[in-house]
Amino acid sequence: MGVAQGPGYGGSERLTDVHGDAARPWHAAAWLAWAVAATAALQLAPSPLYVALVIALATLMVAVFGGDSPYARAYPVLVGLALVFAVLRVALTALTTHGGPDVLVTLPGATLPDWLGGFTVGSTIEAPVVAQAAYEAFVIVGIVAVFAAANAVIAHHELVQGLPRAFHELGLVVAVGVAFVPTTIRAIHDVREADRLRTGGRPVRRGRLVRQIVPVLERGLEHAITLGESMDSRGFARGGSTPGERAAAWCGAAGLAALGGAFVALVAGESTPALVCIGVGTGAVVGAIALASRGSRRARYRPRRLTRADGGLIAVVALAPVALAGLALAGDDRLAWAASPLRWPALSLPAVLALALLAAPLVRRPAPAPTHDPAAAVRPAAGPVVPA
Amino acid sequence: MSAITYRDVRFGYPDGPDALRGVDLTVPTGDVVLVVGPSGSGKSTLLRAANGLVPHASGGRFAGSVVTFGRDTRTHAPRALADVIGFVAQDPEAQFVVDRVEHDVAFVLENLGQSDVTMRRRVEEALDALGIAHLRGRSPSSLSGGERQRAAIAGVLAAAPAAIVCDEPTSQLDPQGADDVLAALVRLNADLGTTVLLAEHRLERAAAIAHHAVRVDDGRVVGTGRPGPLLADYPGAPSVTRLGRLLGWDPPPLTVREARARAADPAGLPVPALADDRAHGDGHGDAPVPGPSLVRAEGLRVERGGRPVLHGVDLDVRAGEVVALFGRNGAGKTTLLRALAGLDPPARGSVTTSAAVGCVPQDPNALLFAPTVRREVAETLRLLRRPDPAAVDRWLDALGLTALADRHPRSLSGGERQRVAIAAVAVGGAPVLLLDEPTRGMDAASREALHDAVVTHARAGGAVVLATHDIELAARCATSVVVLGDGDVVASGPARTVLAGSLFAPQVLRVLPPFCTVDEVATALATGGAR
Repeated sequence: MGVAQGPGYGGSERLTDVHGDAARPWHAAAWLAWAVAATAALQLAPSPLYVALVIALATLMVAVFGGDSPYARAYPVLVGLALVFAVLRVALTALTTHGGPDVLVTLPGATLPDWLGGFTVGSTIEAPVVAQAAYEAFVIVGIVAVFAAANAVIAHHELVQGLPRAFHELGLVVAVGVAFVPTTIRAIHDVREADRLRTGGRPVRRGRLVRQIVPVLERGLEHAITLGESMDSRGFARGGSTPGERAAAWCGAAGLAALGGAFVALVAGESTPALVCIGVGTGAVVGAIALASRGSRRARYRPRRLTRADGGLIAVVALAPVALAGLALAGDDRLAWAASPLRWPALSLPAVLALALLAAPLVRRPAPAPTHDPAAAVRPAAGPVVPA
Repeated sequence: MSAITYRDVRFGYPDGPDALRGVDLTVPTGDVVLVVGPSGSGKSTLLRAANGLVPHASGGRFAGSVVTFGRDTRTHAPRALADVIGFVAQDPEAQFVVDRVEHDVAFVLENLGQSDVTMRRRVEEALDALGIAHLRGRSPSSLSGGERQRAAIAGVLAAAPAAIVCDEPTSQLDPQGADDVLAALVRLNADLGTTVLLAEHRLERAAAIAHHAVRVDDGRVVGTGRPGPLLADYPGAPSVTRLGRLLGWDPPPLTVREARARAADPAGLPVPALADDRAHGDGHGDAPVPGPSLVRAEGLRVERGGRPVLHGVDLDVRAGEVVALFGRNGAGKTTLLRALAGLDPPARGSVTTSAAVGCVPQDPNALLFAPTVRREVAETLRLLRRPDPAAVDRWLDALGLTALADRHPRSLSGGERQRVAIAAVAVGGAPVLLLDEPTRGMDAASREALHDAVVTHARAGGAVVLATHDIELAARCATSVVVLGDGDVVASGPARTVLAGSLFAPQVLRVLPPFCTVDEVATALATGGAR
C-alpha cells in the first residue's frame, strides 16, 4: 500500500490528494475570502457596470474551477432565481412607489385605505423609480452570484474541517444541507419530465404545481432520512462536546457576528460603532481560538493546510475592497450611481483595476479531471500545477 | 459465538401495522447470511434492527431484544455500534456525507476519534478492499451505481466492523455493478472474516455466495438453513434452482456450474422424452406475429452536450412485439427510450410514431404524488379528460395492485412503486409502452405481475419496449432483442436467436439448450410424458 511506504507515513508531512487537490487548486478558506472580498466590493462599488463585472468574474470562476460538479450546474439556476426575485422586486416597487418626473406609462390605479398603508397601487410608473429599484436589485443579484460561485468551486469538506471542534457538527449539517440544492434541481428536472410522459407528451397545466412539487419534496425527505441513518450508523455525533468547546463555539459566533456588524456599520458610514464592533469581534475570535486550542483536537482525516499561495491569494483579493474603500474616501463619485437624474453609469479605471484583483484565482488552473481509466489513476501524483 | 442474536423481536412502525411479529434468529459469526422474502415481509426492518436503526431512528413500538456483539440495541444507539457493525442502505446515492470518496470513507474514523496514523492506514485498506483506490479523489455523484455502492461499503468497512449489514445492496445496480459489489462482500468475508448479513431479491448471484439463508414472511422467520434446500420452493429462487426442483435434483443447484454437472449426467434427466425433445425440438414456437409498425427509428443519432450518445440506430417496433433492449449502463438504452418518447430530439435520422407512446422513467418516485394508489392511476385519465374507472381497475388488477389500491404510494416498496408508476402511465391507453429498467428492486411476485401485464398488453395489439438488465425476464416475454453497445446496435433479431448466442444467456439455456426458461422445460416434460 502506497501510504505504508511513503515518506509521510506517521510523520507530520502530509500526502496530498492527487486528484482532489489538483482539481481544486485553492483552499476553501481562500475561496471564502474571495467571496467576502467580492461581496464587500459590490457594496462599495454598486454601480451597475461594476456589478456586471463582478457577476462576469463569478461566472468565469464557475466555468474554470467548477468543472461539471453538480454544484457548478446549480449556479445558473441560483442566479436565475435571483433574477426572478429582482424582477418581482422591481415590479412591486414600481407599482407602489410614485412621484417624480419622467412618467413611463400610466396604469389604472387604486389607493388603498389608510388602515392598509394608504399607498397607491398602479397609477403612474416613473422611469427613475424603476431604474433605482433595478439598480438596488442588481446588487443583490451580484451577491447571490458571488455566493453561488463560491458554492460551486469550494470543497465543502475543507470548510467543515477548518471549523473549530465545537462547530464541526453544525458545519457538517449545513454542508449536507447545501448538497441538497443540486439534488433538488435534478429532482425537479426528472419530475417535470415524468409529468409530461404521463400524458404521452401532452402538457397539462392544471394542477401541475402539486404534481411536481410533491414528488420533489418527498424525494428530498426520503433522501434526508437515508442520509441521516447513514450518518448515525457511521457514528456521527458519537462523542458529544465538552463545556470548553461549547464556550469556544459561542465565543466564535459572537465574534463573527460583531465583525459582521462592523461591516454593516462601515457601509452605513458609522465609524464609532464600527470601531467598537471590530474591537469586540476581534477579541471574541481570539478568545474562541484560545479556548478551542486548549481542548482536545478533533480527529481529522488529512486536513488541507493553507499554503503560501493560498495566503497570497487571500491578500490579493482582500486588496480589492481596500482599494475601493480608498477610492471612496478619495471622493470617487462614480462608484455608486443615482437614478435621478437618469444618466448612463460611468466607469473609472482605478475602480476597474481594483475589481480586476478578484480575477486573481485564475493564475492557477485546475488539473484536467482524472480519467476513468484505472491504469491512469494509479500514476504518481501530477506535478505542481503550473501557474498560467 | 453469535454475532447478532434476535430474541422474540416485535416491532411496528409509528401509525403502521406490525412489521416484525416475534423474530428469533441467530446470525453466526463469520458467515454470509442471506435474508430473502417478498416485498413488505419485514426483511428491511429485520436488518435495520441489527444496528439499532430500528427503533432508534425509526421510532415505533419495539419489544424483545437484539444483541449485537454483546451490546443490546435497546441501550445502544446506531452511533454507539458503529465500531462493531456497519450498515449499507439500498439507495447508493443517498448515503454520502462528504463530496469526496476518500474523505467520506474517513468519516466514520473521524467520528470514532481514531489517530491520524490509524485513519490513513484504514482508509487505504478500505479503498483497496473494495477495489476503488483509483476513485479516491472523485465526487460520489460522478460515480456509477456499482462504484458508489462499493464506496458506501468502504465507508463502513473503514471502522473495521465485525459485521456488515447490506439491505439490497445490488437492487439498484446493473449486473456488472452487482457482481462487483457481491464479489467485494465475498472477499471481505473470506479475507477478513467479516460477518455479512444481506437481503436480496435477485438471487442468481447472491444465493451462491451465502452460507446460510433465512426466509422471512409476514414479519416472521419461516425458515433457516442451507441456501439450496431452503430456496428450492421459493418463488424468487434462481432459474437453475427451480429447474433443479422441477427435475427432482437433490440438493437443488444454486449455480449454472452445479446445474450443468447434474445435466451432464444422463441419470440427472428423469424423463427420456426430454432428452429426445432436446435433440430436435426448439421448445415451443414463439414466432412474433408481425403487426403494423407503431414506432420506427431510422438512422437515429442523439447527442448530449455535443457528444453523440446514439449513432445511427435503426429500430422498428411492431404491434404485438415485446422488444428487450440490452446493453451495459451508458450504452444508450435510456437515451433511445427518451428519443422514442420524443424527449430527446434526434440530431440526425428520424423517429416516426403512428401510435401514442407512454414512457415510464427509471425512477418511479418522479411520478408519484397522489395519496392513494388508485387515485394515482386515475389521475392520468383525469388529466386526459376521459375518466374511466373500469380502465383503472383493469390496470390495477393487471399489475397485481388491487390489494394495495388504498395504500399511500410512498409507503410501498421499490418494486411496488415501480408497478404503480407503470399502471399510471399505461392506463392512459398508449399502445406503445416504454419501460426503463422496470424490474429494478422488484421481488418475484412483482416480476411475475409485470411479466403477465407485458404479455397481455402485447397480445392485445400493443407493443412494449423494455430497457433492462433482467435477461431471465426477457427470455420469458421478449419476442425480439436489441443489444446496444456504445450507442450502436451490436445485435438484433428474434429473442431466441440473439439470446442463444450470448455469453450471458439465460441460466436454463446454459444448462439445457435450447430451452430458455423453466416453463418451457415444464411444458416439454408434460408433452413428453404424454407421448
